[in-house]
Amino acid sequence: MTQTLATERTASPTTSKQEQELATGAPAREASSITLEGVKKFFNRHDIALDGVDLTIRPGEFFTLLGPSGCGKTTLLRILAGLDTANSGVVKIGGKDVTEIPSHKRSINTVFQSYALFPHLNVEDNIAFGLKMQGVAKAERDRRVRDMAEFIQLSPLLGRRIEQLSGGQRQRIALARALVCEPDVLLLDEPLSALDAGLRGQLQVELQRIQRRLGMTFVFVTHDQQEAMVMSDRIAVLNAGKIQQLSTPREIFERPTNTFVARFMGHTNLFDITSRQANKLETPLGILEVETQTQGNKVLIRPETIEIGPDAAQYANQFTALVKEHFYRGSFIEYRLQIGEVSLVALSSNQGQKLYNVGEQVLISVCPEDIVTVASED
Amino acid sequence: MSQSSFTISQRRLQLRETLHLLWTTAPGALWIIIFLVLPSLYLVSMAFMTNGTYGQPGMPLTLDSFRQLAGFGFLGWSPGNIYTLLRSLWQTLVATGLVVILSYPLAYYITTCRVSLRPIMLLAVVLPSWTNQVIRAFGWMNLLAPETPLSNFAQWMGWIPPHLGLFPSNFAVTIGLVYNFLPFMILPLYSAFEKLDVHLVEAARDLYASPVKAFWTAVFPQTLPGLLAGVVLVAVPAFGMYVVPELLGGGRSTMIGNLVATQFTGASNWPYGAAGALLMLVATLVGIFLLRRLGKRVGGGEEVVI
Amino acid sequence: MSRRSFKASLTIYWWLLLFFLYLPLAVVVLFSFNSINSAATFESFSLRWYRELFSDSQVLSALSNSLILAISSSVIALLFGSLIGYGLYRHRHRKLGWLIILIYLPIVMPDIVFGIADMTFFVRLNSLTGWLSPGLDTMVLSHVTFEIPFVALIVYSRFVGLDATLFDAAKDLYASPLKRTLHFIIPAIKPALISAFFLSFTLSIDDFVISFFTAGPQSSTLPIYIWGAVKKGITPEINAVGALMIGAVIVAAVISLLVTHRRPRQDS
Repeated sequence: MTQTLATERTASPTTSKQEQELATGAPAREASSITLEGVKKFFNRHDIALDGVDLTIRPGEFFTLLGPSGCGKTTLLRILAGLDTANSGVVKIGGKDVTEIPSHKRSINTVFQSYALFPHLNVEDNIAFGLKMQGVAKAERDRRVRDMAEFIQLSPLLGRRIEQLSGGQRQRIALARALVCEPDVLLLDEPLSALDAGLRGQLQVELQRIQRRLGMTFVFVTHDQQEAMVMSDRIAVLNAGKIQQLSTPREIFERPTNTFVARFMGHTNLFDITSRQANKLETPLGILEVETQTQGNKVLIRPETIEIGPDAAQYANQFTALVKEHFYRGSFIEYRLQIGEVSLVALSSNQGQKLYNVGEQVLISVCPEDIVTVASED
Repeated sequence: MSQSSFTISQRRLQLRETLHLLWTTAPGALWIIIFLVLPSLYLVSMAFMTNGTYGQPGMPLTLDSFRQLAGFGFLGWSPGNIYTLLRSLWQTLVATGLVVILSYPLAYYITTCRVSLRPIMLLAVVLPSWTNQVIRAFGWMNLLAPETPLSNFAQWMGWIPPHLGLFPSNFAVTIGLVYNFLPFMILPLYSAFEKLDVHLVEAARDLYASPVKAFWTAVFPQTLPGLLAGVVLVAVPAFGMYVVPELLGGGRSTMIGNLVATQFTGASNWPYGAAGALLMLVATLVGIFLLRRLGKRVGGGEEVVI
Repeated sequence: MSRRSFKASLTIYWWLLLFFLYLPLAVVVLFSFNSINSAATFESFSLRWYRELFSDSQVLSALSNSLILAISSSVIALLFGSLIGYGLYRHRHRKLGWLIILIYLPIVMPDIVFGIADMTFFVRLNSLTGWLSPGLDTMVLSHVTFEIPFVALIVYSRFVGLDATLFDAAKDLYASPLKRTLHFIIPAIKPALISAFFLSFTLSIDDFVISFFTAGPQSSTLPIYIWGAVKKGITPEINAVGALMIGAVIVAAVISLLVTHRRPRQDS
């Protein structure tokens, strides 16, 4: 058998069989739930990292904490890991209160952003570190490290020193080092942010597969909303130490509850609601017909829901817009439109249709069920 | 969880951190306090005491030692001590200046060599200073003694009278100081040159016709923090040097350190010696303070670490 | 002047300066093999002075004093100094100005003042309490004092070079405080501990001034012995002691160079 480098994901029949064995062989621990109740953390009077977080993470879930830098997501992760203590609130793992339990006594492992591999140990000893600290016997330890190395396709690297490895290899070893301990929960702190785009995409898929196969609870921290949507079962969007929305990726993208979430997920068409009637909302754009009314004083029109051209005539909420700019983006076309005083962004999927030129007047429409109302950020 | 309970746990955490700081740093800090700070304070206080019969300090408190240090003795005022002090300052100044001039090209030269060679070159420069300073001074005594090639050459040139050597002399002390402290200037200058923006120097060489002007406009300002660090490392210990003037100066070219030491070895006048030691301490601290201020003024404040 | 000739003259200058730096040492080594008692003329090669050296009980006792002093003071300084280094690192976000000043104090204090202060202190303490008569004990106490700062700074800078999340990783991977120290902290800073020990050892072996003032009548070290001999008059036997000490330093330097080259990029 040729020694392919582990970064190549060649799904040879042998490896997939081994993976299956590892996955179907009874997991050492049941996946655990996590409950946070009123968790607060501040570093001083003016530096509040977490401002009362309540959330429940289900057993076996791929859960993502998403938010801009400084939103408190890493602090939350460190509190879960036991590396920081909350100023108030309760942390429960598998129903057990672990608020006062230090990190080394929690059945939780972390994949750190910088990987944090021990420079004085080689790959094998790095992976074995957690088992050794738990007092696992040498024979058992060696077997588990070897199995893990095979599972993650790193066997040829076991004898290497850390400084001889590439970023992607280090990432996998950090993952292996955490997984080999078979924790109740695995925490991942922006583990892919230091990798280049190609490798990142590949590892996103791989991480998700590993999580499904092991059925372990994963808590993933990222600032990249694309990454969060690809990988997660559920996402909590954080800002200023508070959870803004907690839901499935689809729900968060399509039905953001407030303008922060909407903007963070990449939406830009937000308009004030000046007055409302039964199924009609008055906005600077004009009167909009909507399907259902929710709370909120802003209306969100997602760019990809805007219909442009002759098809637009089929729907309600028709407007004539002026094309100010357009950008050809391959699979879709981005239009910057103007209706009266109001600017609007529309994404039209590219099916080889006619492109509208700058200065052209086009008919657009928005289906009432695609219009969402959102709350302003408080 | 109530408001009060988390402030308690927060306090407990802070207390634990403070205890950690204490148990890690206190033993070593106490060691330095007991075996350096307290003895220094005792020495300083001794400067204000009266010299007893057997050279032991005692009461009452007096400023006699300082009068003695300024040159007032039983036979009226003599300029000997003032000369010693001036000689110390002069030797420090000359040695530091020479060390700077000798180090600049060398530190630059090392940065132009291959990266793999540099640690070996630095080691080669530093290695002699790892040998005992008495042996190094002894080496120079051998080299500069009468009848040696160097002394014969100096006689032939008419620099020194016949049958004498280059040692003992002020000149030998200067050589000894320069030799002793050269590595202490080369190392910080080298790290300054290593961080130097080479493109800036090349631009300066293109812009200004003379290399001298390029040096003053591009190189010197960038290496100034390293230079100041080097001056602290050289001038401060050079001023307090004991071994070199004692061996190479041969009794006539003494510096302040020798004056102080004599009061504790031969002459046994501790308060007088303590007054001299106090003067040295003050001069050292003032020197470091001034150079640090200067270092902060030129912007590289962080780099002048001492 | 062209760039090439500029570089060439710098190369010549480099070799001249090396000559200047090694000349006094070379003279000591050369004359240690001189068959006659002269510092000016080398007659013929002989091991006479080495033979005399090794039959001189004073030299041998000075050597053993130097070694006892260097090893015991370095061990103590390693313990206290690395604790300070760790404390400085763990609490680097606090204001530790007083501690920094305290640590730099032994480095900036003129040797002569340091030595005299300790001498007067020990003499006074001895006359008051009867403790600590001048000898190897007092020398160890003083040597530890000037070695602690160097150990602390070396260990501190090694800690700073480590990725701070390694401490979190060790906790995260079930290491209790004791296991963290044994399996992570000590192995991770081992290179710094080794170089700190060797630096302390070298500083102690080389120190003359502080040793000179804190020594007792029976605790002469090699530098003190050499000093006494030099002051009495130049004897070729000193050349032999000097040559041996120079040789030891060169061997130590070559070893340290080999050690650092064998394990490149420790901190990457």
